[in-house]
Amino acid sequence: MVGAQSAIGEIGGEVRRRIVGIGELVVSDLADEVIVTHALGSCVAVCLFDPKVKVAAMLHFMLPESRINVDRARQQPAAFADTGIPLLFQTAYRYGLEKRRAIVKLVGGAEITPAIDSAFRTGQRNALAAKQVLWRNGILVKTEDTGGNLARTVHLSVQDGRVRVFTGRNEVKEI
Amino acid sequence: MRILIADDSSMMRALIKRVVSLADVPVEDVLEAGNGAEALAILESREVQLLLTDINMPVMTGIELLRQLAADPRWRGLTRVVISTDGSSSRRDEVRGLDVLCYLEKPFSPEVMRDVLEEVARTARI
Repeated sequence: MVGAQSAIGEIGGEVRRRIVGIGELVVSDLADEVIVTHALGSCVAVCLFDPKVKVAAMLHFMLPESRINVDRARQQPAAFADTGIPLLFQTAYRYGLEKRRAIVKLVGGAEITPAIDSAFRTGQRNALAAKQVLWRNGILVKTEDTGGNLARTVHLSVQDGRVRVFTGRNEVKEI
Repeated sequence: MRILIADDSSMMRALIKRVVSLADVPVEDVLEAGNGAEALAILESREVQLLLTDINMPVMTGIELLRQLAADPRWRGLTRVVISTDGSSSRRDEVRGLDVLCYLEKPFSPEVMRDVLEEVARTARI
């Protein structure tokens, strides 16, 4: 997990960015923070928000299943959907998030390099794995922006749970 | 709202029930029928607001069930949704005119089913 960085927010106030690296997760209950992950390719960002207690959390996982590398999963559980998503929820519970109130959004799962990705379909498998883990735990995804072949950067506002997806210099989508 | 699921697969009924429990819809009760005849019997005895029915079922198919419901003004207030593996245009044409609000094709993701339920609850005001 990476420390907070300051930046000027679009509405003029100062927001602090909490950066989520690849195979990492961040949970925050500080309203002036925005959780950010950059350049999601086939990786998937799982965004959580509890509107009652205003707790936001984001996981940036790389692969669907931890069984392909058990040692790595032990050292870095957030790298895989099946170990990272439970860890994301468990960490968020400590901040007061409750599962029944949690709004879950998915971003990423693109196929950036067609020659490689078409064979492995990592992006597609990642998005599907996330939904399967969530479903097994009685959680449905509220909205998603997945697939395609563009890299995405995601901003999750702790203040209101707003998720903004950036796919180009000026391309912003709110989900 | 009281929901009736008509499907000959108990697994499919369980899956739909689970999605109903996770969707943001006001549900009082979820009833189950294994075919169209059982569904009709339940509808005769209980007040139901939403019917989720399969098409291919033994004893009485979903089409026959929908025909009987469409022919009887007592069921005017019942919202009907078809959930079927048969998404062909001929099948869809067959249910057109039978007061079906929406046709959902199997396999579906739980999220799609949730969206349909929430949309039905909003538009049908139930």
